[in-house]
Amino acid sequence: MATLFTLNLVTPRAIASLPDSTKGSPIKVPYLNQPWKRILSPLESRRMQVRAAPDRLSEKVEQSIKEAQEACSDDPASGECVAAWDEVEELSAAASHARDRLKDNDPLENYCQDNPETDECKTYDN
Amino acid sequence: MAVCSAYTTQSLNSTCSISTPAKTHLGFHQKEVVFYRRSSKRGGSGSSSGPCVITCSAGDSQTVVIGLAADSGCGKSTFMRRLTSVFGGAAEPPKGGNPDSNTLISDMTTVICLDDYHSLDRTGRKEKGVTALDPRANDFDLMYEQVKAIKSGVAVDKPIYNHVTGLLDPPELIKPPKILVIEGLHPMFDERVRDLLDFSIYLDISNEVKFAWKIQRDMAERGHSLESIKASIEARKPDFDAYIDPQKKYADAVIEVLPTQLIPDDNEGKVLRVRLIMKEGVKHFSPVYLFDEGSTISWIPCGRKLTCSYPGIKFHYGPDTYFGNEVSILEMDGQFDRLDELIYVESHLSNISTKFYGEVTQQMLKHADFPGSNNGTGLFQTIVGLKIRDLYEQITSSKTAAPLEATKA
Repeated sequence: MATLFTLNLVTPRAIASLPDSTKGSPIKVPYLNQPWKRILSPLESRRMQVRAAPDRLSEKVEQSIKEAQEACSDDPASGECVAAWDEVEELSAAASHARDRLKDNDPLENYCQDNPETDECKTYDN
Repeated sequence: MAVCSAYTTQSLNSTCSISTPAKTHLGFHQKEVVFYRRSSKRGGSGSSSGPCVITCSAGDSQTVVIGLAADSGCGKSTFMRRLTSVFGGAAEPPKGGNPDSNTLISDMTTVICLDDYHSLDRTGRKEKGVTALDPRANDFDLMYEQVKAIKSGVAVDKPIYNHVTGLLDPPELIKPPKILVIEGLHPMFDERVRDLLDFSIYLDISNEVKFAWKIQRDMAERGHSLESIKASIEARKPDFDAYIDPQKKYADAVIEVLPTQLIPDDNEGKVLRVRLIMKEGVKHFSPVYLFDEGSTISWIPCGRKLTCSYPGIKFHYGPDTYFGNEVSILEMDGQFDRLDELIYVESHLSNISTKFYGEVTQQMLKHADFPGSNNGTGLFQTIVGLKIRDLYEQITSSKTAAPLEATKA
């Protein structure tokens, strides 16, 4: 009986997690003419995660700098010190790439990539 | 592009069914399509129609592999974006996959970041006290196996190194593209991988310029200060000099970025002196030159026909030796302020492999917001991109020529 009960708990979660596993296309697009009101699809929620990442990354960068300074206070030539500063460099590079990606996120461009046939996105090249 | 040869002269005017055995007696990479005539209404055994065999071999089963080496924060991503733009289309991360993937895919090119072949993740490196620059932190055997597989037309499952978490994520599938670019710290470190490369580029940034660029990149981050940036560069320098820097002698083209000589005591790093060092004798690659190939030219384009603002532009071209190899060096010092300076310079350069007049200028303008778009870094990156396109076209046309001759015989 207990197992049946747990199974019942598991299945709704499994159904709920299915939309996350579908790739690419949004589940529903009711507001074709008002894309700014559209429901966040899994793709966009992943983009929202990217927007949040720089804050996480910035904290990571800060933390790694402090750790590196601590590690190097004992022995500047040791492997730990060098590895710590290498980590700082890696995180700084990742943070700067994340910032560049944020700059590139134009909401109209993103919408048009997924829906090129809508009125806002049609191009008349030929 | 596929080359198909038909082995019978019987016309296929009746319905045929197709069976595709993957392996043929000729080897792995050819798909054999066998057409069978289903029924022949003609009576008699005269028209015994056997199967007509058409063999198609994928002409681009050999992917062109380009290697790009540079330290972190040195413009590889900018170079990659310019390069993929020369071929057309924008390079994007694979759709539907890991959002932290480092791979970029466009129609013609796939860019693989060699950080994915780290054998130690961030915690592993911290424990052992090694940097990512150290060969001990990278799996060169896997790198060689996978690049060899992609080059011969086999898709691979490449690991993903997540730069945000510092962990090795589950692998992603990489299908063989027409052009594979491997960019990272060690594309030319391992000899076997080096032999697979059709063309290799090294971005050599001098210490002063590296410092200035890293300041620009990192000062926006909260925790950083001038001291921390300097300490980070200093700490990585021994490993960089030992493992990364020696790769430049193997490169077919080196883009060297130095502080300018036009402004005395300049330490802002805004105006740059960029040298494009091109190896002589590389297959399918003919170096860019000014006016007269093989001679030494010093050229200041600013004068009566072209007016430039301070500090102006200075070009130099000449043959030289670089780590024991014969090279030609094209050098530009200064920056472009106006469009007509750029087109004027382009019209005087020779062997730039453009398809029409003004292509270099057009490419530079397309990405005017990229760093280096007004100086030699952008110019030479664009020119190297066009040279790679030329190299790719030469390689693919020489490959299709060979099987065509075989079928004629």
